[in-house]
Amino acid sequence: MQRRNALKLLAGAATLPLLSRDALAFFRSLQTQITEKPDLKTFTPAQNAMVETMSELIIPATDTPGAKGARVSEFIDLILSDWSDDADKKIFLDGLADVDQRSQGLFGKNFLESTVAQQTEVMRVLDEELVKAQSNIEPNRDGRRVLAEKTFYYMMKSLTLVGYYTSQVGEQEELHYEIIPSAHEQCAPIPAKEQS
Amino acid sequence: MASKNYDAIVVGSGITGGWAAKELSEKGLETLVLEAGRPIDPAKDYVEHVPVWKQRYRGMGDRRTTSKDQPIQTTSSGVDEWNSKFFVNDNENPYTTPTGKSFLWIRGRQVGGRSIMWGRQSYRWSDLDFEANQRDGIAVDWPIRYQDISPWYDYVEDFIGVSGKAEGLPQLPDGKFLPPMAFTCAEETVRDAVAKHFGTERRMTIGRTAILTQAHRGRAACHYCGPCARGCITKSYFSSLNSTLPAALATRKLTVRPHSVVHSLVFDPASRKVTGVRVIDGQTHDTMEFKAKVVFLCASAFESTRILLHSTSTEFPNGLGNSSGELGRNVMDHVMGGGASAEIPGHEDKMPQGRRPNGIYIPRFRNVKEKRAEFLRGYGFQGGASRDDWGRGLELAGFGADFKNALRKPGPWRFDFYGFGECLPNHENVIELDPEKKDAWGIPALRITCAWRENERALLQDMSVAASEMLTAAGAKNITPFVENNAPGLTIHEMGTARMGRDPKTSVLNAHNQAHDAKNLFVTDGACMTSSSCVNPSLTYMALTARACDFAVGQLKKGDL
Repeated sequence: MQRRNALKLLAGAATLPLLSRDALAFFRSLQTQITEKPDLKTFTPAQNAMVETMSELIIPATDTPGAKGARVSEFIDLILSDWSDDADKKIFLDGLADVDQRSQGLFGKNFLESTVAQQTEVMRVLDEELVKAQSNIEPNRDGRRVLAEKTFYYMMKSLTLVGYYTSQVGEQEELHYEIIPSAHEQCAPIPAKEQS
Repeated sequence: MASKNYDAIVVGSGITGGWAAKELSEKGLETLVLEAGRPIDPAKDYVEHVPVWKQRYRGMGDRRTTSKDQPIQTTSSGVDEWNSKFFVNDNENPYTTPTGKSFLWIRGRQVGGRSIMWGRQSYRWSDLDFEANQRDGIAVDWPIRYQDISPWYDYVEDFIGVSGKAEGLPQLPDGKFLPPMAFTCAEETVRDAVAKHFGTERRMTIGRTAILTQAHRGRAACHYCGPCARGCITKSYFSSLNSTLPAALATRKLTVRPHSVVHSLVFDPASRKVTGVRVIDGQTHDTMEFKAKVVFLCASAFESTRILLHSTSTEFPNGLGNSSGELGRNVMDHVMGGGASAEIPGHEDKMPQGRRPNGIYIPRFRNVKEKRAEFLRGYGFQGGASRDDWGRGLELAGFGADFKNALRKPGPWRFDFYGFGECLPNHENVIELDPEKKDAWGIPALRITCAWRENERALLQDMSVAASEMLTAAGAKNITPFVENNAPGLTIHEMGTARMGRDPKTSVLNAHNQAHDAKNLFVTDGACMTSSSCVNPSLTYMALTARACDFAVGQLKKGDL
């Protein structure tokens, strides 16, 4: 899979300089279409749609793009496919099925078929369960309340946070992270954009 | 194949090898540096400005690959997705430990060695350190005192550039400092509280670090991008690659040979000198020998000793320079990881801008004036304060637009005190050649036997108590004391195994880092250390190296080598 992508990229690099401006524009639109179809290794299209919807509910588009705009579901697919243990992958996939069951129990519909208000209600219950589980844990020295055993929603929320804030969208548009800081001062006023 | 004869051979190109290369070549010696690893091209290999979103695993590392190839290296928090290429492959570079005695050996094999990824904290020793063994009746006395090394600290600091603040403390001598970096607001709060409540005993200063706060000797000031350990294209922190090796190459007397795995040294019993260095080419596995008038081992503490242990002859069946039986003994590493963390209230309208690659320092205060009954020697605190970032989102209830907007703002100020303590030299902490295990080049691997003992454990406990006291005095909230259980090695300050001393019967090296058993052989990396102090050791290694080079060239000129 990786090798095929690499070959595709190499072919692009070799042919690009030979293309006319119009052809280039066409090629670019084609490329956008290609990349818009995610290269999933673990999720089915339906699972991906669920993860996309849930991550966007956690970090929605506001004045900056949200998790969907940052392609967080593709990041989570990559992590489950090439990084996590099989046990974690199972927790996550079973968790997605459980979300549908919860949605069925509450509203008689699968998660994706529910209204945004209904989806938000399912998420609210999951988030409350996480907060409750965390309230029994002493924070570590970084103020973190790390669960002894991962749960689906804990993974969902943490991978959404990592996937979003380490994306180009998250780092540049949301956090205004400067790779090379324009200045350095240890007690600087908080920039207006972060006070919102 | 006939090979050129050199005046000097330096084994290793890291923090001490770079210094030996510079000093010896600048003094006119035709010098060969043998580096076991690959060459590094800063333009290509430095990755400090590569954004996290260009990393496949967004900075979390290629876990499946590193768990196979670098399971030991990745135990260090200094290893990340960007710089794991600067750390060794554990399968090619094995070592063994006895059951139940873990030692984590974190290594770099490339031109520049670990000076590319080092912590850069640079502190002088004092006579509190040099006299410690004699005072306590432990191990052997150092053959030098502060006045012997002080001019060489000056010399090294002047070249590498160390930023810091003079404090006038006897236990942590001031150096030739570039302007200090600034404290954050929360650090100022803690500094003032420490001064108010513990002023006669404890002092909080800014870290002394080999990072330029102004342009210095052709290198640019730091631009505060943050992750120094991934390289620095502006050469703003000191590494041999950024600084000493270019100076040495400018003499046109230096040859650097990468992919040169040193097998052993050749000892000539007639002249009682080292006459050659046997090398295995790292890529072709061809064997060859290089000759020189003087040999400097700067391969890192354990690698230098491993070469000596493997250099056996009729006269030295247990390793060259081992007539004392001390070669491989007295392994030390700083014991780290006692401390406390907390939230510092206030300063809510302020945050750091830029990423200061440095923290605070509290110099040793135990057993300086008043003697403690529970332990010998002491520790220093590193640490600092910054504001929590989006990572706190997992502990923040809720989701949605309000949640996102809350994470856009910085979180509370969080302060950490993290202790680094002195490790006593112990004869039973030892490295030997493993009778069976070999590395990828067929050279016997090390067997490392090292454990913390009562004194180190007592220091760790005291660190958490003393750190909590200071945070309490500063009005901190949610103070969390901690005592980590880190295996020795993880501090990456491994030292000892070829100690300096006054008596050839009880030490390997003399006061000039010269082997008692072979006068043209010098060992100037961490192997030479007779005790460990509690401060970061690299500045001392550099000063000892420059000093030993000066001595060696003087002896050569007199015809005494």
